[in-house]
Amino acid sequence: MMRALAWIGAATLGGFAAIGRIAIFTASTLRHLVTHPFYGREFGTALFQIGFLSLPVVGLTALFTGGALALQIYSGGARFSAEAVVPQIVAIGMVRELGPVLVGLMIAARVTSSIAAEIATMKVTEQIDALVTLSTHPMKYLTVPRVLAATLVMPLLVATGDIVGILGGFIVGTERLGFNAASYLQNTVDFLEQRDIVSSLVKGAVFGFIAALMGCYFGMTAGRGASGVGAATKGAVVAAAVLILAANLILTEAFFSI
Amino acid sequence: MITLSGLHKTFENNAVLRGVDLHVARGQSLVVIGGSGTGKSVLIKCILGLMTPDAGTIVVDCQDITHGGHDKLLHRFGMLFQGAALFDSLPVWENVCFRMLRGGMSRGDLRDLAIDKLRRVGLGADVADKFPAELSGGMQKRVGLARAIAADPEVIFFDEPTTGLDPIMAGVINDLIREITTEMGVTAITITHDMSSVHAIADRVAMLYDGVVQWQGDLAALGQTTDAHVRQFISGSAVGPITTLR
Repeated sequence: MMRALAWIGAATLGGFAAIGRIAIFTASTLRHLVTHPFYGREFGTALFQIGFLSLPVVGLTALFTGGALALQIYSGGARFSAEAVVPQIVAIGMVRELGPVLVGLMIAARVTSSIAAEIATMKVTEQIDALVTLSTHPMKYLTVPRVLAATLVMPLLVATGDIVGILGGFIVGTERLGFNAASYLQNTVDFLEQRDIVSSLVKGAVFGFIAALMGCYFGMTAGRGASGVGAATKGAVVAAAVLILAANLILTEAFFSI
Repeated sequence: MITLSGLHKTFENNAVLRGVDLHVARGQSLVVIGGSGTGKSVLIKCILGLMTPDAGTIVVDCQDITHGGHDKLLHRFGMLFQGAALFDSLPVWENVCFRMLRGGMSRGDLRDLAIDKLRRVGLGADVADKFPAELSGGMQKRVGLARAIAADPEVIFFDEPTTGLDPIMAGVINDLIREITTEMGVTAITITHDMSSVHAIADRVAMLYDGVVQWQGDLAALGQTTDAHVRQFISGSAVGPITTLR
C-alpha cells in the first residue's frame, strides 16, 4: 500500500516537474524569438521541410478522410432521411475539426519525430556543444526557426487539408452518391461561416507551435546514445499528439461554446 | 592565461572533480592525461562554459568566468571534439567557416577561406562541398581541426584528438596539432589517454586521478617521475595504485 502511494506521489511530482520544464523551455523559446540574432537560412529550410514537404501526406490524409466522411454521413443520415446534408456536414466536419486535428497529428508524426530525432542526434554527437563553442545559441539556431516556421506554415497546411478534404467528399458525393456537383458546392459554400475558417486556421497555428516545440524540447533534453534518441523521438510524438488533442478541446470550447 | 582553482563538479553522488588546481601559461601546450571517467572532458567543458562547476574558480586573462561571461571569450577559443562534432546538414566548407557565416564576408570569400584552412590540415578543395557523412573518420578530424583554427583563436582545446583513428592517422593528427599550435602561437589544452599524443603535443603534462591533479610537470620530467600513478599510467600496467575493474 505504502509502495503504491509512494509510486503515485513520485509520478505526480515527476509530472509537475516535466510541466515546469516544458513551461520554462516555452518561455525561453518565446524570449529568443524576439531577440537578435535571427537565423533566416535555418528558418527558410524549416519552412520548406515542414511546409512544402508535408503537402503530400496532408493532401492524401485529407482526401481519403473527406471521402470516407461523406460515405459515413450518407449512410448514417439515411437512418433519419437526412442524406441531403452530406455537403454541409463534410464541410463543417473537415473545417472545424478533422482538418486541423488530422493535419496536426500527421505533422506530429512526420515533423515532430524528425525534429526530435535530428536534435537528439546532434546532442548525442556533441554538435550542440559545438554550436555553443562557435558562439551560437542552440535555442536561437535550432528551436526558434523550427517553431516559428511550423506556427506560420501550419495554417496553410490546414487550409490545404480542409480544401482537399472537402474535395474528397465532393468526389465521393458526386461520383458515388449521385449528388449534383453545382448544388454540392453551393451547399458547402453557403453553410460555412467565417468563424469556422478562422477557428481552423488558429487551431493550425497552435498545433504547429506545439508540434515543433515538443520536437525541440525532447531533442534538446535527450539522454545518451541510440536509446536516448529513440526515447526522445517517442516522447516527442506522444506529447505532441496528446497536447494537440487537448488544445483542440480547449480551442473548440473557446470558439464554439454556446 | 588560464587558471583553475579548487574546481569541484559532482553528478548526483559521483564527485568527478574534487578540487582541481591548474595553470596554463600563454602559448603553452598542456596535455591532461588520465583514465576514462576521471573528469578530463568535464574539466574542458567547465572552461568552455558547457558545464558550471559546483565550486572553485576559472580565470581567463584575469576575467573570472566561473559562472558566466563565456560569451565574450568564445570567439578567442577553438575546439576539436572527440567525434569531430561536424554539423551533418552543412557542407564541409560551411562547417569550417560556421562562426563567420553571420559576419560581413561574402559566401564566396568564406568558401575560399575554408579551402585555405582545409589545405592547412592536408585536405584538398574537392572536400569543401562534401557533407561530413561522406568523409572518413580521419578526414572528419581534419575538418574539425580546420574549424577549430578557422577564426585564428588564441586558445584551442583538443578532446581526445586521436580516439578512433588508426596509429598512422593518429600520428598524422598529432603532428598537425603540434605544427599548427606552434605556427599560430596559440595556447593549447589537450585531453587524452594516448601517450603518443602526449609526446607529440605537450610542453607540459598534468595527470588527473581521483578528481584532483595527481601530478604535473614538463614533458621532460614525465619520463623521470617516481609518482606511482603516473608510472602505472605510462606503462599501462594493471598492477599499481590505479584500481580498475577486471
